[in-house]
Amino acid sequence: MSDETTKTAGFWTWFWDLANPTRFLAIANWLIPVLAIFTCILLAIGLFLGFSAPQDYQQGATVQIMFIHVPASWTAMMCYSVMSISALGSLVWRHPLADVSIRAAAPIGAAFTFLALLTGSLWGKPMWGTWWVWDARLTSVLILFIIYMGLIALSRAIEEPTTAARSLAIITLIGFINIPIIKFSVDWWNTLHQPASVSRLAKPAMDAVFLYPLLTMAIAYTTLFFTLHLLAMRNEILRRRIRSMRMSAARKFDSPSASDRK
Amino acid sequence: MFGDHAAFIVPAYGASVIVIVLLIIWLRIQYSKHQKELLTLEQSGIKRRAVQTPDENSNQ
Repeated sequence: MSDETTKTAGFWTWFWDLANPTRFLAIANWLIPVLAIFTCILLAIGLFLGFSAPQDYQQGATVQIMFIHVPASWTAMMCYSVMSISALGSLVWRHPLADVSIRAAAPIGAAFTFLALLTGSLWGKPMWGTWWVWDARLTSVLILFIIYMGLIALSRAIEEPTTAARSLAIITLIGFINIPIIKFSVDWWNTLHQPASVSRLAKPAMDAVFLYPLLTMAIAYTTLFFTLHLLAMRNEILRRRIRSMRMSAARKFDSPSASDRK
Repeated sequence: MFGDHAAFIVPAYGASVIVIVLLIIWLRIQYSKHQKELLTLEQSGIKRRAVQTPDENSNQ
């Protein structure tokens, strides 16, 4: 019992220690190169396994597109989930880093959603005979892209960080409803897009020669996302630091001149 | 290498590389820009409040 209490207390101390930007920057500076190296190794292995995989008996060489299309889509949805958890952290605990996390993740999520749509389109043309259909899966991912764009616009429209934090967190949470819709769209509606073939409770419906490169690429994209997210969070912290320094400089500059005017 | 479908596979990989590289370049440019700006601000004698207080955690 007492062990449990110290453990929980330890977690919360760590959790709130992270709120100190200087401490977070120190951790990020250490973690970014480590994650970057991991990502490079995983990408090299994943690409090697992917390019040495045989052609699919139905899809031919276009199965190659799967190795970048599926990880991009997973990352796009994972990024939104990270933003939604951050939004909860921002609203419930008022954790200052949570808001930084949402703002930093939005452009990265938009980029991966764009890649998912583009590679999907390039895969759809030879396989389905069309670049685009307005079916449930494709449309809901397009909506995810539009939500990302909206969040980016909103986060840049409000200058004051604390005012922006609340509205950004609330809109992010509302948008989360789209994530299960994307996930289950292939089961709920009749779509051209194939249903899930990896994350099934039963055995994945895919041969190991395709499954291993796909999983490696998926992990590589995940570590890539967290590397980019840390880079973006570091930038956002510095941007806020610059802003508050400018503000305090302006106040200092302002106060003597204000008294002169009297 | 990819047969008839190279026209779809090559652009898919090409676009992914371009988008990810652009993202990294954009983040690096922002970082160096911010660092330069922080340096100029610090050189002009503007300090962060956190630096001025001896104990950073005392006001939490």
